[in-house]
Amino acid sequence: MTQMSVDIGALRLRGPVLAASGTFGYGTEVPLLERRALAGMVSKGIFLRPREGTPPPRIAETPSGMLNAIGLQGPGVEVVIRDYAPKWAEWDFPVFVNINGESAAEYGELAARLDGVPGVAGIEINISCPNVEQGGLYFGNDPRSASAVTEAVRKRTSLPVWVKLTPMVTDIGVIARAVEAAGADALCAINTLVGMSIDLNDYKPRLSFRTGGLSGPAIRPLAVHLAHQAARAVRIPVIGIGGISRAEDALEFLVAGCAAVQVGTATFVNPSAIAEVHDGIAAFLEAKGFSSPADLPRFLPRD
Amino acid sequence: MFLLDARITGKRLVARDMFVITMHAPQIASSVLPGQFVNIGWSPGPLLRRPFSVYRVDGERIEIVLKAVGTGTAQLLSMAQGDRVSCLGPLGHGFEIGAGPRTAVLVSGGLGVASMRLAARQAASLGIRVAWVHGARTSQDLCSETDGDDVIWATDDGSKGIKGTAVAAAPDAGLVLACGPNRMLAAVAARWPGAQVAVETYMGCGTGVCLGCAVPLARGGYDRACKEGPVYRAADVDWASLPPHLSYAVPA
Repeated sequence: MTQMSVDIGALRLRGPVLAASGTFGYGTEVPLLERRALAGMVSKGIFLRPREGTPPPRIAETPSGMLNAIGLQGPGVEVVIRDYAPKWAEWDFPVFVNINGESAAEYGELAARLDGVPGVAGIEINISCPNVEQGGLYFGNDPRSASAVTEAVRKRTSLPVWVKLTPMVTDIGVIARAVEAAGADALCAINTLVGMSIDLNDYKPRLSFRTGGLSGPAIRPLAVHLAHQAARAVRIPVIGIGGISRAEDALEFLVAGCAAVQVGTATFVNPSAIAEVHDGIAAFLEAKGFSSPADLPRFLPRD
Repeated sequence: MFLLDARITGKRLVARDMFVITMHAPQIASSVLPGQFVNIGWSPGPLLRRPFSVYRVDGERIEIVLKAVGTGTAQLLSMAQGDRVSCLGPLGHGFEIGAGPRTAVLVSGGLGVASMRLAARQAASLGIRVAWVHGARTSQDLCSETDGDDVIWATDDGSKGIKGTAVAAAPDAGLVLACGPNRMLAAVAARWPGAQVAVETYMGCGTGVCLGCAVPLARGGYDRACKEGPVYRAADVDWASLPPHLSYAVPA
């Protein structure tokens, strides 16, 4: 019998498949959810304060992918703690909260507010946010800012801290090492790529925000490569994300060096995607004679 | 909400390039309310599902209306009887049609006709007298199927019915329901702030998760066309901030 649990640092998950931030709301809105296969979820990205989000159009479909610029619409941390965390506390899988800020101090403040809240199992830091104190440079593009944010969060919480890396960098290994040194328990790779699509009816971008985050199968080979590069750079676990819609996709990330995966955009299309990916991994391991996901051969040269 | 493998059972032409597709979806047929929609996916097909208002219910079958506006809808139109699509629904918050008003006017433009048949049936079942007002560019673009006690046509070129817009051609009534391009709905809002209108937006998941189908509200902020909508009180929408027309959108 294949045993599906995986360890992410000190945290044991009952399976290798989690739901990715921004594609699962707060877990309460998801239709026809098959919880048995869900190892955990990451909430929609939140800020300290409520955010309205960007004007429409917010999404555009592209070949095998979609662009989104939702603008991190959300009610702010206090409402999340009051309305959602009590529900999460009753669930049989861990909920990580994806946090966002405009300064390292804001991230630290969010971590402090979430620390010890029943129902919050951990924090995923989104470092793909502009750092207002540094003129809007993205935290995730600069090893020092990425490390400062991670440290600010680490200092204010005893919860597991995951850092979600942006692919929009010249060397993801540099950022990965910086946030590992700053105390991250795991890395999540990758966030969306920044993309743009033009509407030829009015000669303007199809998104009101002009650019958006590209997700879906279109980004998967890039994501496998970048998750692999991150995994080679660090000793902490890497959770692979990017265009996973089938078990084979997830298995690519695992073999490339990831300890677990997150499924995102695929759940918009197929409400059973997470269960299908989970069951497909189990069937593959069984068929190939592996006793658990950790037994899979890893292609992870440390040259 | 149900996720079904729905077999396509028929297709008919109702206007130039505009078709009704029938599919076998029993649980959705027995639970759908006027103004609600289904989100349809197929393989091989585009990544995202496509939202369609449920046009009619016929026993265990539902009907949708579509035009080939992009590659996705062209693929759907090329399917044959017996082909299967994945059908998620019913979704959204539809028209609220209760006893009380004695007359209703149903105003639709182009593909907006898609959400009017179920509304007409429900109004009629409550003893409400229905005026069916349908507008399009030319007579060839008007949906040939109607449902109501009085039928009023409007065309931009005057080739059938009143020359002008469906909104201008419509009489007043106790209950006003409308569906069509957003710029038409903005005109409805100006004339009847209390009208119920089904807006058009791009959609991602269709189930309230992705926040992609944001509708700007007059009181500020956004909500979701797929969940709180697609039907709104006309005065509640910030029409200046809603794109007036979506080149690839099908009214939800």
